[in-house]
Amino acid sequence: MKASRPVKLLVFLTALALLLAACPAPMPATDSGSGAAGTAGDMAGEFKVGLVTDVGRVNDRSFNQSAWEGVVAAAEALGLAEDDIKYIETQDAKDYADNMQQFIDAGYNVIVSVGFALGDATTAAAQENPDVFFIGVDQFQGEAMSNLAGLIFNEDHSGYLAGVLAGSLSRTGTIAAVLGTDLVPPVVAFNEGYIAGAKSVNADINVISTYHPGEISQAFVDPEWGAATAKQALDQGADVIFGAGGITGNGALQEIATADGAGETVFCIGVDTDQWNTVPAAQPCLVSSAMKLITPGVVELVTMASDGEFPGGNYFGDADLAPFHDFDDMIAQELKDLLEETKAGLIDGSIDTGYGN
Amino acid sequence: MRRPVLATASPTTGIARTLRALLIPSLALLAALLAGAVVMILSGDDPMAAYGGLFKGAFGDGKGWARTIRKTIPFVLTGLSVALAFKVSLFNIGASGQFVMGSVFAVAVGINFEGLPVYVHLPLALIAGIAGGLLWGAIPGILKVYTGAHEVIVTIMLNYVASLLGGWTVYAGGTQGQTPGPLWDRTAGAISETPDVLHSAQIPWLFGPPYRVHYGVFLALAAAILVWWLIFKTPLGFEMRTVGHNMRAARYAGIRVNFTIILTMALAGGLAGLAGAIETLGLNHKFAPEFGGAVGFDGITVALLGQTHPIGVLLAAFMFGALDGGAATMQFESGVPADIIQIIQALVLAFVAAPLIIRLIFRLRPQSQEDAGSAVSTSWGGT
Repeated sequence: MKASRPVKLLVFLTALALLLAACPAPMPATDSGSGAAGTAGDMAGEFKVGLVTDVGRVNDRSFNQSAWEGVVAAAEALGLAEDDIKYIETQDAKDYADNMQQFIDAGYNVIVSVGFALGDATTAAAQENPDVFFIGVDQFQGEAMSNLAGLIFNEDHSGYLAGVLAGSLSRTGTIAAVLGTDLVPPVVAFNEGYIAGAKSVNADINVISTYHPGEISQAFVDPEWGAATAKQALDQGADVIFGAGGITGNGALQEIATADGAGETVFCIGVDTDQWNTVPAAQPCLVSSAMKLITPGVVELVTMASDGEFPGGNYFGDADLAPFHDFDDMIAQELKDLLEETKAGLIDGSIDTGYGN
Repeated sequence: MRRPVLATASPTTGIARTLRALLIPSLALLAALLAGAVVMILSGDDPMAAYGGLFKGAFGDGKGWARTIRKTIPFVLTGLSVALAFKVSLFNIGASGQFVMGSVFAVAVGINFEGLPVYVHLPLALIAGIAGGLLWGAIPGILKVYTGAHEVIVTIMLNYVASLLGGWTVYAGGTQGQTPGPLWDRTAGAISETPDVLHSAQIPWLFGPPYRVHYGVFLALAAAILVWWLIFKTPLGFEMRTVGHNMRAARYAGIRVNFTIILTMALAGGLAGLAGAIETLGLNHKFAPEFGGAVGFDGITVALLGQTHPIGVLLAAFMFGALDGGAATMQFESGVPADIIQIIQALVLAFVAAPLIIRLIFRLRPQSQEDAGSAVSTSWGGT
């Protein structure tokens, strides 16, 4: 009786633990930076970089992850110790300011805040802490502050490249875009660029663009709608479809990947990151993705902060197409050249996407 | 060897009863923390560092205490909301929707009526918030009484309605000419949110930034005392408890059962609505869809952990406030993802909802006849 008590407790807890281990256990995406314990007082590093995610995980295969990879890469380039970079995953939209304050209190030099939604909190923190550099990913700066850089992108540029690709690949003369909400300006920019790019190679092309009709909180997390809309576009003869809108767009990509002729007569184009890696289910049809190069943008800004050449205000990151992966052989060299020329033209301003005019 | 004293103590003395009431919740919390530690060990993390960071984040300094208190306030009110309904054997799963309605009603008053003095505007906005929740709570009560629709189903469904309705009120419109929502901030561009609440409707800071603790903390305390007084010291509370224990007997005794059910659901909704109003007027100073009512669901756990007693709810809310308040520091200090806190909170719910597991683990004696009837168990039976 006496002995059985702790044994029973142990057995129960072990059983429970096994049960829980069967579920996906929470594991940090990258152990570097946040693996070691109790290092707040460690003064080994002179230069420390912290990152606050938007609500969600740091390994979200999207913005949070790309930004964190940028911090990790910058730390390697600058020779920072593992303990000099850390992240906090935000649990609640009310906690943005608190989470940034954790880094400020611990004497961090650079704080990366990821996402449009953290804009207000980041601006306030930058005003209160002029000695700390802030990098706001996807945060447009209305008024420039010397210690706050908004890393933003010309989405219309990468949309334009996607449009050139889609317009050139299409045999039916009809292409489509399945989009998150038009409440978010970058999504509109992607679409307008896409249409302009497609028209630049085929003036008569028919583009079916469909925005999610719901509110912001649903528009990017509705894969069923994305799939249904993609199906509809296919039925209307579209043979290249651009999925731009988080999980909603992913739903469209996955639908096309299972359609008849996927990868042969029907293609899809992803968005934001190289979705060949982030949505493997879309690989059968995924020729490329219209990317925002968040990782190199973060690396550049962190490096500039450490060099004392931090650019306040808006900082434009590069927009580009992702590699073609398995479709590389299928893309004609002329099209590859055309895309390179287009990219150069967009950068030097000789090509205008028409967005924002 | 004899069993622990707690389990065998005489149930007649007040102190013993209190201690016994605390026993299961405390052990449930302990078991959840232990299980959380096991999860951390299995995923290669150090639980001591994690819990050290958690404690430091929740109580380590003034900012930590401020975070804990700030997080505790809504838990107290949504916990009270669920607990009050439990006393009448009603299962209020709708605190989340009631919270949202409270936020929307409060912000609607808070962003309008410029020029009113604080002592008029702020109470008005708070009352509006209570009214929003009250309305949202009364609907399932009325439907239960007049149509027999179970309050669990109705409150769950109304959560969705509230969430979408809240989103619509602040909808920014679209580039294709959609009409924006009535509370949308016209200067916010593409962002769906309300303007800031006017200063005259903001709850003043008790401790200003960076602490950001407002006077709402006293409102939450007052609400707990008021609910305690209502349940245990008023004839109405007696009627509520009687309906909760045995609806038929209550009806025989001449208690207005239907009235009591509707009133209780409305009051429960009002408490959750007040939570939304306080969060909106005290902390967020605006409403946006991302300030949703997740805290309403946690209210269920808080109420159960607090044994549906107002004082217990206060303690449970404080525990949850500390867990949430320390989570970010825990991740900062130890690298353990803050998600572990949600696992622990879910385990607490599992353990308090199934006290048998706790009794089995810690080898406690079966409960005496007197308090065997759990507040929850009768919910599905009575109509």
